[in-house]
Amino acid sequence: MPSTQQPPIAGAVVDPTSVRPPIDDATIERVDVHGVRARLEALKAEGYTMLLDLAGVDYLPRSPRFDVVYHLLKMPTAAASVQQVGAPQRFRLLCGVNDGEAVPSAIDLWPNADWAEREIFDLFGITFSGHADLRRIQMPYDWVGHPLRKDYPLRGPAQERSPRPSFGLKSNVLAGTPPSGRTLEALQEQVKKARAADRPEAERDGLAGGEPT
Amino acid sequence: MSLSTQPLTPEIVSQEGNAMVLSMGPQHPSTHGVLQIMLEIEGETIVKAEPEIGYLHTGIEKNMENLFWSHGQTNAERMDYLAPSSNALCYALAVEKLLGITDQIPERAQHIRVLQGELTRIASHCVWLGTHAIDIGAISVFFYCFDLRENILDLQEAAGGARMHPNYIRIGGLNGDLPDGYLDKLDALIAKFPGRMRDLRGLLQANPIFQDRTIDVGVITAQQAIEWGVTGPALRGSGIAYDVRKAYPYSGYDRYQFDVPTRTDGDAYARFLVRLDEMEESLRIISQVRKDLNTPGPVAIDDPKVFPVPKETIALSMEALIHHFKIVSEGFRVPPGDVYSPIEGPRGEVAFYIVSNGENRPYRARLRPPSLYNLQCLKGMAPGNLIADLVVMIGSLDPVFGEVDR
Repeated sequence: MPSTQQPPIAGAVVDPTSVRPPIDDATIERVDVHGVRARLEALKAEGYTMLLDLAGVDYLPRSPRFDVVYHLLKMPTAAASVQQVGAPQRFRLLCGVNDGEAVPSAIDLWPNADWAEREIFDLFGITFSGHADLRRIQMPYDWVGHPLRKDYPLRGPAQERSPRPSFGLKSNVLAGTPPSGRTLEALQEQVKKARAADRPEAERDGLAGGEPT
Repeated sequence: MSLSTQPLTPEIVSQEGNAMVLSMGPQHPSTHGVLQIMLEIEGETIVKAEPEIGYLHTGIEKNMENLFWSHGQTNAERMDYLAPSSNALCYALAVEKLLGITDQIPERAQHIRVLQGELTRIASHCVWLGTHAIDIGAISVFFYCFDLRENILDLQEAAGGARMHPNYIRIGGLNGDLPDGYLDKLDALIAKFPGRMRDLRGLLQANPIFQDRTIDVGVITAQQAIEWGVTGPALRGSGIAYDVRKAYPYSGYDRYQFDVPTRTDGDAYARFLVRLDEMEESLRIISQVRKDLNTPGPVAIDDPKVFPVPKETIALSMEALIHHFKIVSEGFRVPPGDVYSPIEGPRGEVAFYIVSNGENRPYRARLRPPSLYNLQCLKGMAPGNLIADLVVMIGSLDPVFGEVDR
């Protein structure tokens, strides 16, 4: 029963990718943000012709804070049979990047990095230098914040919760939205006001005794 | 003029020249979901196409980070609503790799997983073929396809209890064995299938209108397909026989005899032929799995800390009750590590990149959406073609927006 015998790691400070030998068939390598471009170029030249996917991970207290993960595949670029394709080699390049740092774009090496980088920018707020069209892709253009960051609340920022945002605007920064009254601060404020307005206990008990109002 | 990098307003008429900016979708019936394409057109010829996605973004990956490992299965299924069991299998395999229990999955569970994977592939291709043909104007194909799909959905309902999202494949095995009478229904499907495929081929394959609309439309060369990260039938339609089931066999796919159909033309017609052949190959696999299904056996791992104990034991054994309580109230923990686990879905390489930090929830679960990369290829493919052909191209790429937008 391998699942439960290891004690859990307190918090997410430890980088989970480094505590365990690789369990899939990819070659794994870690680079920093300055070396990533050269490494990607070298890998492309080595024959990793396909960028399978680009994933972002936020390890919040860690520095560098984010990982941008490149999944590469060594594929033939002309028609090939099953035997010729075989089991193409996989490569996983993990690039640590801090908040505010820009990762060099891979769009000229693999054009499909376009949407993948836009998605990471949208959901993590990591910028890519050299990307000509870096705008949001999943979230609405006027959205504030980057939802897949670990410090972004699951249900979104408080002002969006109530009233229900209109589907037409698809936005969390509605101009003129009345204060929701459901944020924690507002709730505390409300409780404080209610307490201040409340009469002393004895008096209230007296009122409860049956005095007509 | 050129499309601005700023958010585009669906302005209909541009200022200069004969070029015009037209917003197609997101409510257009031929975009197979909520896809908007900003088209720059000269007459009826596309100068530039810029797909706008994100209308179906639900933050499903963010949600997964806040759900137990076993609950994430539900989200994984919803990402591809046309082939839910395929995504469920991908997620289950990824988590099993992290748990280190890949080799402990019982034989019968693996057989049934292969069966489910292939059934959903056929069902998904049925939806693709029906809607693709409707886009082109052949309406009756839709009914033939959906009738066949309905039989598969009946099987899904029998196995998992729900037509669309059976949630049948679980981490560690399956949610129960196949019910009584399932194999008879499966036999009936296997018997019906060749005739139905003959009908479908007869309706379309040699149809001159269909050929006119699809041959040499939306050509992707092998080089382009690799550059744009295209996988699945679209890649095989360009001549590269990359199939995860052959390259990295999982769930015992190496036991079965099947071919990887390819075409070298790379056009919409080639992708159509590849998918039709694939449906037949799927049935070939199903017929082989069918023989294995007569042997009874366990369908889930015997580990009460990962897989819930049988319900009837809960009232009889205190350990079972404790295990049940623990797994329901706090789930199970997965050793830290990261894994990239691919399978061959109906649209291409579906993969989960999962990071665990040892907690009872995934730290990060990223789906590699094959539809996203296939659809992105449209940018390179559409210019120079007619608007009417754009519909064919979208149809031949078979995107699913639950997966593109997640």
